[in-house]
Amino acid sequence: MAKIMYIEALKSALREEMRKDKNVFVIGEDITRYGFGINRGLVDEFGPDRVRNTPISEAAIIGSAVGAALRGMRPVVEIMFVDFIMIGLDQIVNQAAKMSYLSNGELSVPMVIRTPEGTEWFGGGAQHSQTLHSMFMNIPGLKLVIPSDPYDAKGLLKSSIRDNNPVIFFEHKQLYTQKGEVPEGEYTIPLGKAAVKKEGKDLTLVATSWMVKHSLEIAEDLKNKISIEVIDPRTLVPLDKDTIINSVKKTGRLLVVDESPISGGLQGEIITVAMQEAFWNMEFPPKRIGSLNTPIPFSSVLEKKVIPTKEKIKEEILTMFSD
Amino acid sequence: MGISREQKINMYRSMIRIRKFEDKLEQIYRDGKLNGHSHTCHGEEAIAVGAIEALSEKDIIFSNHRGHGHYLARGTSPKNIMAECYGKVTGTNQGRSGSMYLVDTKRGMLVASGIVGGNICLAVGSALASQIKKDNIVTLSIFGDGATNIGFFHEALNMASVWNLPIIFLCENNQYAEATHREQHQKVEKISDRAIAYSIPGKTVDGTDVLKVYEAVKKAVESIHRGEGPTLIECVAYRLSGHSSGDLGAYRPKGEEEEWRKMYDPVKKYKTRLFKENILSFEEAEKIEQEVQKEIEEAIKFAVESEEPLANTVDKFVYQEEVNG
Repeated sequence: MAKIMYIEALKSALREEMRKDKNVFVIGEDITRYGFGINRGLVDEFGPDRVRNTPISEAAIIGSAVGAALRGMRPVVEIMFVDFIMIGLDQIVNQAAKMSYLSNGELSVPMVIRTPEGTEWFGGGAQHSQTLHSMFMNIPGLKLVIPSDPYDAKGLLKSSIRDNNPVIFFEHKQLYTQKGEVPEGEYTIPLGKAAVKKEGKDLTLVATSWMVKHSLEIAEDLKNKISIEVIDPRTLVPLDKDTIINSVKKTGRLLVVDESPISGGLQGEIITVAMQEAFWNMEFPPKRIGSLNTPIPFSSVLEKKVIPTKEKIKEEILTMFSD
Repeated sequence: MGISREQKINMYRSMIRIRKFEDKLEQIYRDGKLNGHSHTCHGEEAIAVGAIEALSEKDIIFSNHRGHGHYLARGTSPKNIMAECYGKVTGTNQGRSGSMYLVDTKRGMLVASGIVGGNICLAVGSALASQIKKDNIVTLSIFGDGATNIGFFHEALNMASVWNLPIIFLCENNQYAEATHREQHQKVEKISDRAIAYSIPGKTVDGTDVLKVYEAVKKAVESIHRGEGPTLIECVAYRLSGHSSGDLGAYRPKGEEEEWRKMYDPVKKYKTRLFKENILSFEEAEKIEQEVQKEIEEAIKFAVESEEPLANTVDKFVYQEEVNG
């Protein structure tokens, strides 16, 4: 099987879906000529009508995608940095997320918003490095997808495009150049199905996005001491609770690692979901790791203090087995 | 502009229907018979009726929180709108919306926004879909003067202009954004002057004259069909009521409403004109009024007698179940 980069996997999903369905189109700022390059080259095959460079107007980019989706199109929006999504937040929260419900299912918004988050010395600082996916878990009506490798990225993007709900598809800047095995040709991965990235019996380590890579490396580093099961939920809404709960029941220990700021974050939600079903199986209090509740600082020295690093995760795991 | 006699009378009936529907609705709120609140378009009936008459059946409309008139003008049954105001299962949205976010997909009324200016960009997207599909459909985006101060307005008009999209931006300038008079919320004398910033045509018309509104929108539709892109139309009128039910508009100068009511009540104005032009007789007008009155009473009866939604359907349609392909 060929190894390709995460961005190539995304591009190949877009290309296949645009060939398959003429209602699929991509829209965003400078998507043909600047940015991370996921859409680059598509214009040659599909033309400028379906590959739209826009003004810097995130509300109108997202809002117009919602409107086009209401009319049967299947827009795939690129928001260059997740931080910029905030300008179009009303269009997502008050409009897109409400359409199906308000209309008794008569209206649908089959739209995907792809957007990168996170850092690890990306150097973008406070307004180009945030991790915002947790915030959207509080908005019923949205689906949230967050793939951690090229294989998942392709299969999940194809499913997201075919889904009839508004989907926010969170990528990570550090993942873009990561390589992984991706088969030739058609495959999809259903939304709502977690992946057990590595089986283990002593600890359930739930990790998302860039944190999955750290987690797998740690599991390998510690394999002679601790058998770690690494679970990637892959989609936050819908959340595959069963896979997480069953793993925790088996291991009796849970650590959740996510780059969101810790307060009100995904980490706490997953711990609650697990504790409601697996409390009596626990051998150690559940733990969570996230970013500190500070903005992301520019200095790499400061940034390391804020975000979850491999060292911090490893240290936390060892404290869970210290006796 | 080639409007038939019958069409002119129908437009009158439609205006009377809106007026009577909302008079009655206000009464119901005043009597404390309904929870929540609604926003009436007293004084703006000519805009709804004139603009919508100028569209074809396949065209698309995005309305706003002050939207009953737009839906009634488009032909949505007063029964279903009234039932929605009552939160009943027979309402346009089966009780999930209430007065503010009406949907009538069969008539191309996609969704009204309760966020001021919140769906102007959605309307641009509808026009974008039409441009990609080349389906010859016109999208009408309706909003008030207050909405022209929100960022969506700027982003939407700029995008529509740069892409030459088939969309009409229709501003109902009713002089007030909630409780703030226009002089206190924007300095521009004519809202249509804002079109200059986007290099699109901008036109201000008397929003209390149904035929003038019709004519302006018809021209904008024709220019879209010639491939000339968007137009901004400002319809000047006056909100002959408070912002929402229960608001008596005490913040307005004394006598202002009375003055407008006397001089520019769109329903009265149009009726007088139809009398003068011998299109409508006194008896016919009387008959129309009685028929509409009956219709509204039936709508209320229908709403009152309709079933409440079943509580166990509360989480239906949060998500679409079916997947494409």
